[in-house]
Amino acid sequence: MSLEIQLAGIHPRSEKLIELTRSYERAKASWSQVEVQLEQETREVIKLQESLGFKHFSDGALGWQDQLRPVTRALQGVESGTRYSRWFDTNTFYQKPIIVGKISAGNIDPKNFLRADLLTKERDRKVTLPGPYTFSQLSENKHYKNYADLLFDIATAEREIIRRLKNEGVTLFQLSEPCLVYQPYRESFRDQSEVDLALGAIRSLVKDSPGDFVVQTYFGDAAPLLPALLNLPIFGVGIDLFETDISSFNEQEKTSKAFVLGVVDSRESFVEDANWIADTARKFSEKVDARQLVLASNSDLKFVPQGIANQKLEALSKASELLEGSG
Amino acid sequence: MSKLFPVQEIGSLAKPKWRTKGLRQQLSSQDLSEAEEWAAKLGIQDFHDRAKSILKTANEKERVKAILELSTLYGLRLFETSGVDNDGVGGEQQRVEMYEHVIKAVQGMNLLGHVHSFDNKYFNKGVAESKISRKHPIYVPEFLDVKKYAHRAVKVPITGPYTLVDWSFSGYYVQKQDASSAKTRKIEAKREFLLDIVEEIIRPEIRDLVDAGATWIQIDEPAVTTHPEPQEMELFVEAWNETVKGFNCKFSDHTCYPSEIGYKVLAEYAPKLDKCDQLALEFANRDTSRLGIDEDSREGYSDLKHFVDAGFSGEFGLGVAHVHDFTGNVSSGAGQSVGRDLIESPELVRDRLLFATKIIGDPAKIWANPDCGLRTRTWDVAFAKLANITKGAELAREAY
Repeated sequence: MSLEIQLAGIHPRSEKLIELTRSYERAKASWSQVEVQLEQETREVIKLQESLGFKHFSDGALGWQDQLRPVTRALQGVESGTRYSRWFDTNTFYQKPIIVGKISAGNIDPKNFLRADLLTKERDRKVTLPGPYTFSQLSENKHYKNYADLLFDIATAEREIIRRLKNEGVTLFQLSEPCLVYQPYRESFRDQSEVDLALGAIRSLVKDSPGDFVVQTYFGDAAPLLPALLNLPIFGVGIDLFETDISSFNEQEKTSKAFVLGVVDSRESFVEDANWIADTARKFSEKVDARQLVLASNSDLKFVPQGIANQKLEALSKASELLEGSG
Repeated sequence: MSKLFPVQEIGSLAKPKWRTKGLRQQLSSQDLSEAEEWAAKLGIQDFHDRAKSILKTANEKERVKAILELSTLYGLRLFETSGVDNDGVGGEQQRVEMYEHVIKAVQGMNLLGHVHSFDNKYFNKGVAESKISRKHPIYVPEFLDVKKYAHRAVKVPITGPYTLVDWSFSGYYVQKQDASSAKTRKIEAKREFLLDIVEEIIRPEIRDLVDAGATWIQIDEPAVTTHPEPQEMELFVEAWNETVKGFNCKFSDHTCYPSEIGYKVLAEYAPKLDKCDQLALEFANRDTSRLGIDEDSREGYSDLKHFVDAGFSGEFGLGVAHVHDFTGNVSSGAGQSVGRDLIESPELVRDRLLFATKIIGDPAKIWANPDCGLRTRTWDVAFAKLANITKGAELAREAY
């Protein structure tokens, strides 16, 4: 079984970049000053990944204003709207996409998704995108009468985004699907037919290159859905170990899938001990014989200040060394 | 309040440049030119004497005190001049912001750095590093300044205990738990942390405010609808009831920007909140920008029904003006989109109030207010919004 560490979403901005963006808001700094700092920090995030032994490189998505916006802006039939909604149970917000017409791929600028120009040396590139189910659930639908049509049109449009990003050298796509496991934001409980639809949309999205995809769940318990997730024709499945209890897995489950273990908590400042991370990964391996293990944060690290996020990545790297050292 | 649809502010105003700069360094007369301009608009009679004193003093502590007092006076007069019926605390000029201001006064907590909230907005997030206690009074010095200058009723907004805990890292409290599951450890830590914040920080603060003469305290709990699970809502109710226990004072809750079902869930638990005389809620953000008192035009106010159906019998503070950037379309007569701002017309405010009255039934239970504090808007925009809320409330009164 091979082992890797990866970023699992948006990395936090530094205090310097934060101050610059605030100055920009107050018209005391120009956007070009912000861009210079963004570029420098993106290089630093990439360098950090190099120093910690990453194999798939992300740009940290430091310029993303929320987890949905680049996709929202690349789609026709979707407006950004003016409404800010809470991002699950965090103290962060996103601009709610408003679906006002039939969804299709619009003007896709790969630069809005990835700073490929800064990743020139690296072979494998990773981008995190909202999965079609989560995107649809977090949007306001003012157009579609049939939810399945909406969901599958998002999947088709995202497939086009992915095709464009593959041209930019992206080899791994994380489809974040927290809505598959997080329930309290909605009134009616998700039934099996809705789960089937969601998984169907993911199948539709990944059909051209299933081996390039990981479906990441977080903020909820993935155990009840795990058999279905493992049936998806994808490279791997991600789970949040601060919500999912390893002991709930069947004994010695074997799978050809990779597992992304969300084993550092992006919503707590306490930096996990490398030994604890390694032990947790070992316990998981005793339960699940996976093709590959990826150690990562349970979701975007943007919920902690950058210094802490970097320490958490270092802890993952040390844990990885401990695991590799112990065979 | 005897008149229908009284207007209230919710809390913050932007900090004027001279206030922010003046806390860091000596000001020049040029720095105070903006203050001079506003002094005329707001009727600050003794501006020149105060300015002279600020410019003359070499003592930093005295300068900071004078600037905070002056900016508080400006905030109070802005509310008063725009027609608002309560004075608030002058736009929270003496606070860094709602979270950090409190955390800096808590022994055992440390601010770790900024995290992203949305767009280019962030907040400084703290962690509990040991058992907490209050270092010094948090809102009382500001309240004493406000009392000197307020002409009308004062409502003191304070940050609620649930929000303080929810926006912090539990640190010490989570590390001391011994449950085997990570999830259980987090839940147990949150309850212990929350009850400590109530007993050690918030109740002593309320006691001091009431002793100093406060009669209305608005408890800001934006985080409460973040976690609509029953276990979390029960925790919120427990903390609220513990917070207000034994105090003879009007209490109101302000909760904004809920999760999708946040208000529906809050509605279910609102009747369980002891001494909660008013819920001040955000609606304009989710509403259309066109006139009308039909359900489609006023889609943003549909959640009000949940509170009525659940039997909440107190007042409602109705958010009738948006407080964030606006990029949508505005229909004729509903307002004016200026740059990143929407200035709602009095007619749009009126229609929002009249639609809400159809749901709530009793117009005497409705206050008009912005969705939230106006700290993200310029003073010109804040003034224009509040003035139009006042005019809109007058138009709504004409219907009765």
